[in-house]
Amino acid sequence: MARIKINHDKCTGCRHCEIACSLNHVQDTANPRRARIRIMRDGNRYYPVIAGPFVDAACTSKLFVEVDGHQYDMCGFCRASCPEKPYFIEAETGIPLKCDFCGIPPSPSCVRWCNSGALELVED
Amino acid sequence: MNGWIGRCLRVNLTEGKHSIEKIEPDLVERFLGGRGLGVKIFMDEVAPQTDPLAPDNKLIFISGPLVGTGAITGASCNVITKSSLTGALACAKMRGHFGAELKFAGFDMVIIEGKAEGPVILSIMDDRVKLVPALEYWGRSTVDTEQLFKDNLNDQWISRETFMATIGPAGERLLPLANVVNDRFLSVGGAGVGAVMGSKNLKAIAVKGQHSLQVADGNRFVQVINTLINKLNSAPLTSQSMSQWGTAFLVGLCNQKGILPQDNFSKGTLSLKNIGTEALNSAFVLRSRSCFACPVGCIKKTDFKHSAYEGRGMVPTYLAIGSLGVNCGVNDLEVIGMANMLCAEMGLDPVATGGTLATAMELVAQKALTPEELKIDLRFGNGEAMLEAIRLMSTKGGHAKRLGQGGKALAESFERPEVFMGVKGMPLAPFDPRAIQGLGLHFATCNYGPHHLYGNTFIDELLNVHEKIDPWDIEAKPQLVKEYQDTTAVMDSLGLCSWPLMGLKFKNYVPMVNSCLGTSYKAEDLLELGERIWNMERLFNMEAGFDETHDVLPDRFMKEPVTEGPAEGQVSRLQEMRPEYYRLRGWSDKGEPLPATLSALGLEK
Repeated sequence: MARIKINHDKCTGCRHCEIACSLNHVQDTANPRRARIRIMRDGNRYYPVIAGPFVDAACTSKLFVEVDGHQYDMCGFCRASCPEKPYFIEAETGIPLKCDFCGIPPSPSCVRWCNSGALELVED
Repeated sequence: MNGWIGRCLRVNLTEGKHSIEKIEPDLVERFLGGRGLGVKIFMDEVAPQTDPLAPDNKLIFISGPLVGTGAITGASCNVITKSSLTGALACAKMRGHFGAELKFAGFDMVIIEGKAEGPVILSIMDDRVKLVPALEYWGRSTVDTEQLFKDNLNDQWISRETFMATIGPAGERLLPLANVVNDRFLSVGGAGVGAVMGSKNLKAIAVKGQHSLQVADGNRFVQVINTLINKLNSAPLTSQSMSQWGTAFLVGLCNQKGILPQDNFSKGTLSLKNIGTEALNSAFVLRSRSCFACPVGCIKKTDFKHSAYEGRGMVPTYLAIGSLGVNCGVNDLEVIGMANMLCAEMGLDPVATGGTLATAMELVAQKALTPEELKIDLRFGNGEAMLEAIRLMSTKGGHAKRLGQGGKALAESFERPEVFMGVKGMPLAPFDPRAIQGLGLHFATCNYGPHHLYGNTFIDELLNVHEKIDPWDIEAKPQLVKEYQDTTAVMDSLGLCSWPLMGLKFKNYVPMVNSCLGTSYKAEDLLELGERIWNMERLFNMEAGFDETHDVLPDRFMKEPVTEGPAEGQVSRLQEMRPEYYRLRGWSDKGEPLPATLSALGLEK
């Protein structure tokens, strides 16, 4: 199965992937808020987050993670298109967004435009 | 209009009111947008003789039409005003994410007029425009201001998406060296803009929004960008040097050719042991950071384990290493990096600050100014004193406050104007014009003062990317300078960064422009627009009191040959190149655009 592998160490925070996604899914439109991938930022680091499914059950990700000695709120990197936050929800319709790998066979537009090597399509 | 939001926000700070206007499509047709359109509107509304710090002066923040659409390196937001350092037109090219976010917030441009009674922050968030009293932010560094404003929003999701353009203490104190900063991205050529913003009591602008941008032909646009990314990746300078070390890779090359100035342009070469790319690798952990939609990522941040750098990490660029480092005799990368960070936090322009410090250091070396007088041991090579001077300058504290008025004022106050190495009151970017003749001609004639990013001729002269041109030769230079000046005017107007010209030809951009905006430009059409913009800026400066006597380089470059190093014996041959340049531009011997030139370009005097 194909997956998108994220290496946040390489991400430069240019947000080109957000625009790539938006242009691919909404006809001729560039808008990061309509993208299914967003770059979360914390201090000097950038974390690409790809929209995933939201299950309307008790949230299990209310915890803290430690990266390089820093504590992060897991909610900030959670990929669920959850009603608790304004990410991954189509602004006009309120429909939750989810990454679809840009069709079959998978050729994600974000990976194509990512020049830093932070996003990579892998088969396993 | 494709690429455009089509709305302009006009804020009158005196009355505390704002209005929303439409952007005229026929103006866009003639001046493209960005720098071109901004200057046009500024010229229509502000008289050339206006005092830069008076409420009559205006401040225009304008993003180009390609910004935010995903066009590669489309990130520039230009800030246009009359500079308090030079008295000429100023255009600060602000990179980073602010320009794109301004468009997502629903405006292509913001015009700031008047003067607020007390400190304010202009907040443009989700279509709500308001002026927030900013007393608690006044006096804070640019970084603190951003942090506090975001904390005060009380919502981690909103604060993550907010971007701010801020001035630091230097701008509040109206220092002519002050710059505007967004998220530690120092704007290019912004000396004086920070002071104008400070004179209006405007501490910052915050933007956030969710407007969409329309692209004319999305499928074609995506294809073109794929090709451009591949092209950038196959060019050695953009794929390796720039993304590995940022612009700092130029240090070695410039030093090799004797272009890197030392001790206020009095010496030519030095050992690269402490400041070359290897030293950079060992001093810092280099990690790339990009402006919006940039595949190159030339800004470097660091996780350097040093108490002073904790969480602030910024690796010095070529400009910082040249201006704040070598030209002040300092060759310690940690000190240079620290100085650069201080500039970003205090809101100072690194080139102007470095030039001023170098002037002061030379005055000390000539014994005109004594260290006792300044209460700092400011001399060539003393890094710690330099850092102290920057801190005191920006807060106007101690005896260093006279430095804050800029190098020209300082040198003149000691009746030694020849010590100041600058043009039109702005210190030179760190390239010795004796060893790179074309750039010297550009420095002398540039509308915005001697900054290399308004005409990057060094791409051909030094790096030989598109053409192999000898830096000392003068024959082809006037034409080269004109081409690069026009090209840069176009790229600024579109909102693109000009560094990728190291890997791409200008004509490579044309399909991207057309598929995004739905136009059918050819490269020549765009360059003609660039020429129109350059001439229009020249007209404004002429009315503001600039003429051919300001198109000169300091005497040192014309009379004193380089004493050592690879460029030994060279002087600037500006006087031989300038008449030819004027002729190519269609200007008179006095540097005035001829009526025929103006009418051909569709301009009026």
